[in-house]
Amino acid sequence: MNSIAYACMAYGLTALISLAVVGLIVIINKLMGGNSPDGDELEAD
Amino acid sequence: MDQLLHLFPGVGSFFIDEPIVAFSRIVLIVFGMVLAYYGFKRTLEPLIMVPMGLGMIAINSGVLFLDGGVTGNIILNPLISDPSSLINVMQVNFLQPIYNFTFSNGLVACLVFMGIGAMSDISFLLMRPWACIIVAIFAEMGTFATLVIGLKFGLAPGEAAAVATIGGADGPMVLFTSLMLAKDLFVPISIIAYLYLSLTYVGYPYLVKLLIPAKYRGIETDFDMGNVSKRKKFVSILVINTVLCLLLPVAAPLIMSFFIGMAIKEAEIEPLHALLENTILYGGTFFLGLLLGVLCDARTILNPKVGILVVLGIVALTISALGAILGGWILYHVTKKKFNPVIAIAGVSCMPTTAKIAQKIAMEENPYCMIMPLAMGSSISGLIVSAIAAGVFISTIGMLTP
Repeated sequence: MNSIAYACMAYGLTALISLAVVGLIVIINKLMGGNSPDGDELEAD
Repeated sequence: MDQLLHLFPGVGSFFIDEPIVAFSRIVLIVFGMVLAYYGFKRTLEPLIMVPMGLGMIAINSGVLFLDGGVTGNIILNPLISDPSSLINVMQVNFLQPIYNFTFSNGLVACLVFMGIGAMSDISFLLMRPWACIIVAIFAEMGTFATLVIGLKFGLAPGEAAAVATIGGADGPMVLFTSLMLAKDLFVPISIIAYLYLSLTYVGYPYLVKLLIPAKYRGIETDFDMGNVSKRKKFVSILVINTVLCLLLPVAAPLIMSFFIGMAIKEAEIEPLHALLENTILYGGTFFLGLLLGVLCDARTILNPKVGILVVLGIVALTISALGAILGGWILYHVTKKKFNPVIAIAGVSCMPTTAKIAQKIAMEENPYCMIMPLAMGSSISGLIVSAIAAGVFISTIGMLTP
């Protein structure tokens, strides 16, 4: 693979994994509810 | 005369060494003084530059005559690989155990990352995750552009990838990647990286002001300041750590180190949090600076590739900043002028320097403009994206035709 093709592939892969991480964060946000105004729900558990 | 030279070997060795080596030693002694002084003045990062400068002075001044009449030192020899020689050398060179047990295996980078993780708050990223990560992806542009430029300059694939990671603006990441991909050049690459990262505080504000007109710099940007629950933060840390380790096992030591710091912070394990945030972070940073300094002997800068690395380091950080600002402008238009493009510079990680730069520039135009939380979110995203890029390089560099 030549250098430009490799750089594009590596950049694309990095972006894809990064976006997947954010996708997971958004899913976690949705599953666990929005941000609570008073912050901590640890005690409620 | 000969006796006099042997009485003061530090000075006498200047007359024994090759002229180019002797001259380079003098240059590095002066350079070490400059680094330490500007660290003391806070122009450069003092935590790294003061120990690095003193280490550089010591390794190039404290030269003596060893067995066989060769010149050397009793501080460190990074080239020993034979186990029995190593055991002998460890009993002589005082920094040899620290080098072999914490530096040459990348542990020191992981220790620093644990401390950085313990100082980071993932809630900044959770406020506007898409904006933060998009900015960080654009801010990684310098890494990949520099890889191509480095290869055109004739560097080997691993070397080009290692120096390119300077574009991610994370010192421990650069150290870790260069240890994995370019062991022969990891010293100059790491020193150049830390030097340039210290200079971002001076250079980036000019670049931001040049590319973002004053009327856009004070735009107030919406974000949800509602506190994110600790449970949500902790679960996010666990999930992201698991996914990244699954996808990029070669970067797992760094990824785990960062997220373990974050996890301990969120779990509120105070003794461990204090250990990571203070002792481990500052201890790791101190030995990182000191060892980089003592590794910087005259022969290091005589490598003809060092000149190329000096150029590529600044190219990487400049292109990353340009990419970040481009990302900021795109978000500004996509969000219908509700995103302050200055925030984007924080995507070049270098936590928390770039976030502070963003907030300072915004407040110069609008004293009520608060963008620090989003800038910190972008910085944390930048760090995560840099770790991913490093993992991608280490995993796939073999696909690149030399």
